[in-house]
Amino acid sequence: MKALEDLILKIGKVDRRWIFLVLAIAVFIPIIKPIGMPIRATETTKVVFNTIENLPENSKVLVSIEYSPSTKPENHPMTISILRHLFRNNHKVFVTCLWPDGQFMAQDALKQVAEEEFGKVYGEDYVFLGFRPGNEAVIKGIVSNIRKLYTVDVYQTKIDEIPLMDGIKNFKDFAFLFSCSAGYPGTVEWVQYAADPTGVPMSSGVTSIQVNEVMPYVQSGQMKGVLAGMPGAAEYEALMGQKGFATSGMDAQSIAHLVIVLFIILGNAAFFIERKRSRKY
Amino acid sequence: MSMTVILGAWIAVFLTFGIFSYLYKDNPFYKTAEHLFVGISAGYWASIFFWTQIQPNLFGRLWPSSEFSAESLWYKIYNGLSFLSTSVFPPGGIDKGHDMHLSYLIPFALGIMMLLSLIPKLNWFARWGIAYTVGMAAGLRAYGYLNSNVLGQIKGTAASFTDPNMPFFSLTSVSTFNSLVILVGTITGLLYFYFSKEHKGVLGKASKVGIYFLMISFGASFGFAVMGRISLLIGRFVDLIKYSAGDYNNATLWVLMIMLIILGYDAFKSRKTPPVNEEAV
Repeated sequence: MKALEDLILKIGKVDRRWIFLVLAIAVFIPIIKPIGMPIRATETTKVVFNTIENLPENSKVLVSIEYSPSTKPENHPMTISILRHLFRNNHKVFVTCLWPDGQFMAQDALKQVAEEEFGKVYGEDYVFLGFRPGNEAVIKGIVSNIRKLYTVDVYQTKIDEIPLMDGIKNFKDFAFLFSCSAGYPGTVEWVQYAADPTGVPMSSGVTSIQVNEVMPYVQSGQMKGVLAGMPGAAEYEALMGQKGFATSGMDAQSIAHLVIVLFIILGNAAFFIERKRSRKY
Repeated sequence: MSMTVILGAWIAVFLTFGIFSYLYKDNPFYKTAEHLFVGISAGYWASIFFWTQIQPNLFGRLWPSSEFSAESLWYKIYNGLSFLSTSVFPPGGIDKGHDMHLSYLIPFALGIMMLLSLIPKLNWFARWGIAYTVGMAAGLRAYGYLNSNVLGQIKGTAASFTDPNMPFFSLTSVSTFNSLVILVGTITGLLYFYFSKEHKGVLGKASKVGIYFLMISFGASFGFAVMGRISLLIGRFVDLIKYSAGDYNNATLWVLMIMLIILGYDAFKSRKTPPVNEEAV
């Protein structure tokens, strides 16, 4: 028993750089050699899927991109899956960005899904409105008069010359909003300034860190489900039946979590053993 | 593959390893990556803000091409500005689909006032701009929080305990048990932050229950934070694996090897160098 306690104490005092290395190996190996752990959709992901599935054909859907390359592994698979779902069901998609970098993320996702996978026509099936600075003020602008805020799209084409923009005046003209968010301004602001005051249903895909912040909105019914981090994206890919980046990352995610839990247990055990010994002497 | 793509991959690999190298210790690779990130981010944001907001939405409303008149004094000023930069002030006015709105001179003036904070003698002007921004933000947020975070949450989580159709226990939907947990958690959590009376007796016990609710919430936040960070690590690793291929001239392997040799040599050299005796100095 004493030998085991000594070993745990030794592990408890190990240089943190060794822990980083172990974690890096634990993430690296499952990426190279995937295990193929099962992915089951949680209730919140199913709600997002069903909400989009139940939209009538040709619904006008606003997709807002609020993330940058720094959270691309979490948010981008969500955007791709959501766009796939919307285009597969023949909905009309309008893309805005509250983050400047979001413009490039959206451009990348639209090129992959709208152009290459579905061959959708710009201006008739989807519009890319782009980024406007102003955070909440941009949302308020979309809610009150989108044409005043966006006079041109991202390619500098006048809004009046885009056929899909006919009849779009404000946020109430959309049937649904999906916000793919990594922080401020993002999902919370869309709930506060758009969805709640107008009653237009919305869902969101958020980074793991934001989940605790937005979950109260889901539970109170202010939001129709949420895609929670990379697992949420992987679950949506599973529901769509089209595996992608998020699914391939889930093995590494699970193994890394096990390693972290193990280190937390060992660290706590070392702390209690040390305390017990110091009391003894 | 084009040379620019390969060069981009090499830069991405270098910057990724540069940031990761901080886990070992602070070093010139990390410093280079950090300074590049800060500098490029600032420049990128400034450029995006100017070309998506100031040029089209501010200047575009002050000097729209739709109302251009070479005879008017207002457009004579514009022509003078056009002499400075034709890309910002193109000849014949700015064509972004706006009508003329001279009221936009007010935000223009406030913006200039904020920039005057750089001049010590005139920096008091900046208070006007800041006062407007703070006032507007406070007004916007007060409404949003009151409507969505207070009223919306109360309305959404309020449950009728006498409803015979509500199940006593359910993990995924509204139930009497869940409603009781929310009720107890909210009240005891609030009591923990009630400082007008000493936390003794019933209040002490209730606030202790509140602490447990807060601890569970912090634990969930920590778990999600870890999950988020691991997702980002997976993203970087996937890119590093991709860039290790021959198409990218084995960028990952070369950069890793060179960095390890330089950091290893530095560690070897500093081990041989005797530590400086500070007292003697």
